[in-house]
Amino acid sequence: MKLGSYILKRSLLMLLVMFGVLAIVFAIVHVIPADPVGALLGGNAPPDVVERMKEQLGLNKPLFDQFVDYVWGVIHGNLGNSIQSGRQVIQDIAEYFPVTLQLAIASIIISIFLGIFLGIFSAIYRNRWIDHFSRIFSILGVSMPVFWTGLILLLVFYYILGWLPGTGQLSLFVIPPEKITGMILVDSLLDGNWEAFWDGLRHLILPATVLGYAATASIARITRASMLDVLNQDYIRTAKAKGMPKRIVIYRHALKNALIPVITIIGLTFGGLLEGAVLTETVFGLPGLGRYIVNALLVLDYPAIMGGTLFIALVYSLVNLSVDLIYAVIDPRMRV
Amino acid sequence: MRKFLFMALVFSFAAMAFSASIPKDTVVIGMNTGIFISFDPAVCYEVEPSIMVMNIYSGLFKLQEFNGTIQAVPELAESYDISQDGKTWTFHIRKGVSFANGDPVNADAVVYSVRRVLQLKKSPVWLFESLGLNSENMNETVKKIDDYTVQITMNKSYAPNIVMSIFAESWGGIVDPKVAQSHDVSGDMGSTYLADHSAGAGPYILKSWQRNNMIVLIANDKYWRGAPRIKTIIIRDMPESTDQQLALKRGDIDIAWNLTPEQVNSLKGDPNFNVVSVPAQSNEYLAVNAGWGPFKDVRVRQAVKYAIDYDSIIKNIAGGYAIKVQGFIPYGYLGYVSDMPFDQNIAKAKELLAQAGYPNGFEVELVTNTTERRRNEAIAIQADLAKIGIKANITIMQASQMYTKMREQGVQMIVAGWGIDFPDPDALAKPFADYRVKQLAWRMMWYDDHAADLAEAAGFELDQTKRVEMYKELTNYWFDNGPFAILYQPLNYWGTRAELKGFDQTAKGYSLAFDLTKMYK
Repeated sequence: MKLGSYILKRSLLMLLVMFGVLAIVFAIVHVIPADPVGALLGGNAPPDVVERMKEQLGLNKPLFDQFVDYVWGVIHGNLGNSIQSGRQVIQDIAEYFPVTLQLAIASIIISIFLGIFLGIFSAIYRNRWIDHFSRIFSILGVSMPVFWTGLILLLVFYYILGWLPGTGQLSLFVIPPEKITGMILVDSLLDGNWEAFWDGLRHLILPATVLGYAATASIARITRASMLDVLNQDYIRTAKAKGMPKRIVIYRHALKNALIPVITIIGLTFGGLLEGAVLTETVFGLPGLGRYIVNALLVLDYPAIMGGTLFIALVYSLVNLSVDLIYAVIDPRMRV
Repeated sequence: MRKFLFMALVFSFAAMAFSASIPKDTVVIGMNTGIFISFDPAVCYEVEPSIMVMNIYSGLFKLQEFNGTIQAVPELAESYDISQDGKTWTFHIRKGVSFANGDPVNADAVVYSVRRVLQLKKSPVWLFESLGLNSENMNETVKKIDDYTVQITMNKSYAPNIVMSIFAESWGGIVDPKVAQSHDVSGDMGSTYLADHSAGAGPYILKSWQRNNMIVLIANDKYWRGAPRIKTIIIRDMPESTDQQLALKRGDIDIAWNLTPEQVNSLKGDPNFNVVSVPAQSNEYLAVNAGWGPFKDVRVRQAVKYAIDYDSIIKNIAGGYAIKVQGFIPYGYLGYVSDMPFDQNIAKAKELLAQAGYPNGFEVELVTNTTERRRNEAIAIQADLAKIGIKANITIMQASQMYTKMREQGVQMIVAGWGIDFPDPDALAKPFADYRVKQLAWRMMWYDDHAADLAEAAGFELDQTKRVEMYKELTNYWFDNGPFAILYQPLNYWGTRAELKGFDQTAKGYSLAFDLTKMYK
């Protein structure tokens, strides 16, 4: 019962956040002293052509009216049409988001494994060389630009060794699976298209590694700190004193409790990955949401920018809400 | 056991690496396709998509390069007559030509396609409107005479090359009315559908476009000049030039579209690759605002032109991929002037500044956009101007912001480029010298009636020799008085695999002409 009202409260708060995001993004994109029509028409078009197109697109209306129109549309489930392509923004998002989602899931799996293991080892072998190594290794992930790591991995595994394919989601002459979710791996499984699954998986390895590695550091750090915290607690000492095997003490007694803060950081990281990783998507030629929004920003395609940001804010809030719910399940104290 | 599994995995990855190579009748292009918006001829205006549209839709005329000059030659118009007053054109449509789906190309299709551009009023419409055609007068100006004859009446007697060139571009592509109208959604004349489908009579058919991913063109076997040799063209989206370089070297693509000068130079001398380069249909320029402070004085404008080290910019910033040109009419165009009156001459520039009353120079804002090349050009110019005492503060902005500021006549000094809209000197003389068309000259507040009159008159001159003389006179006047310094005419370049032949012929005249049928393997 309590959980129900909690979810309701959070959902109402989310609506408020959405409206806030909408208002702020709208204000920011309209403060920039440029207009999308100028960008759309390039440098050559004479001023009257620019004016006429502004009128066509309703961009010469007062800002407040434009905002009200937009919010009204959003309430009715219409994110508007992209100025650039004339297509519905919602249609664009539906096309680009699955690519980002698949990459984010693959990356978060990699960074959870890497992060938690590095974190545990760091904590157990605190201040020994294993600790130093894993800390340096994970910090390197955040410090090296993904752009650079991506290109180096491509150079080694695609160009020199030839073990993995280059950019894109599938090889040219592999028949793509029928589009169901938009995520190549899921679709090819549903379709029973094993060739596409294998090829898609091979294409996913490098970008997911690059992105997952970059997201590892924060997870490793929190795991380490939280493990250290737990390992110093009385019940662990008691367990050790009882003569329980070290492995059981660490993995059964300590880890379970140490994971609670880690879940928060995993949730936040995953939310971040879902925004679309522009640079990774660019280096690996993936048609994801990040590139879509950046392209829209470059030409000030207002509806695309607003729709994209709103969607990301929604996804981010939902991820956070689920993290809080998982919390409640794992930690009974939260339910009180 | 674990070790064995690991090794097996590594080997299977390695084995997969030897994937199928590109078939002989297929060409794969690696390109940054972020700029693609639509393949509808009435909507498309950007460079790369336009050249694809020109290969999907045939127009009344087609642009071709002969001996360095781009000319419009009849395509679907078998012949044409021009009335005595030079305003009314009668086009005789080639008989027996059909669209890719078998529908006939006739007068109805031509009239529909021209009116469609005028009605949809998208980015390219102003080119037809510059001939006096618009959605209000189109029922009188664009008419069907019989099934294979169309009459179009302009508001003035424009030089024939202007009219033919404008109709030869992507927006002049003839659309199958049946297909377009059957996909009409709330009066868009099929525009949403044609964004990623095709309904043309050109050598290729747009098979599919997955945005930011891949474009597939297949040969139109019904093309009236005969089916092209390459049956499938795949354009893979590769936004990063290094990826293109790696993929080209590994043989995963045949053409790398967006290499940097260093990357393309690294291919030179390797027998597995060719480097193809052609003069670009654009000018790179520095402009000053003739209505702002010191630049009101013509001597200050001249001083700026004498301060710049043009050769160094071409060599060090454009990596040699540029042609030294100083007039507004580029190399290969009717009326091209080969004179190069400006070389860096600091003493002369200083003297001119002193005469104008600025012996110690002044401070000015130099605007440009975010591309690496433009930034470097701005920095080089800043250093050159510093030598004569002018302190230029560089402001870098997004192109959208820069052009807005420029349209408001709000820039003091700018480094930018001008892409040519159609292959006629008129497409350059008007923007660069005639403030009345409200393009470059107007934006830089150069309200010079003599220059404007000359540019306008030359546009109506039907005698070619006289026309050339007029452009020569205008260019010389413009050298002395204008607010522009042309830095160079860029060269476009591509890296290709050696097994791909004929791409040099394909690329000739890029970005106004581009003929995919010329390449083969």
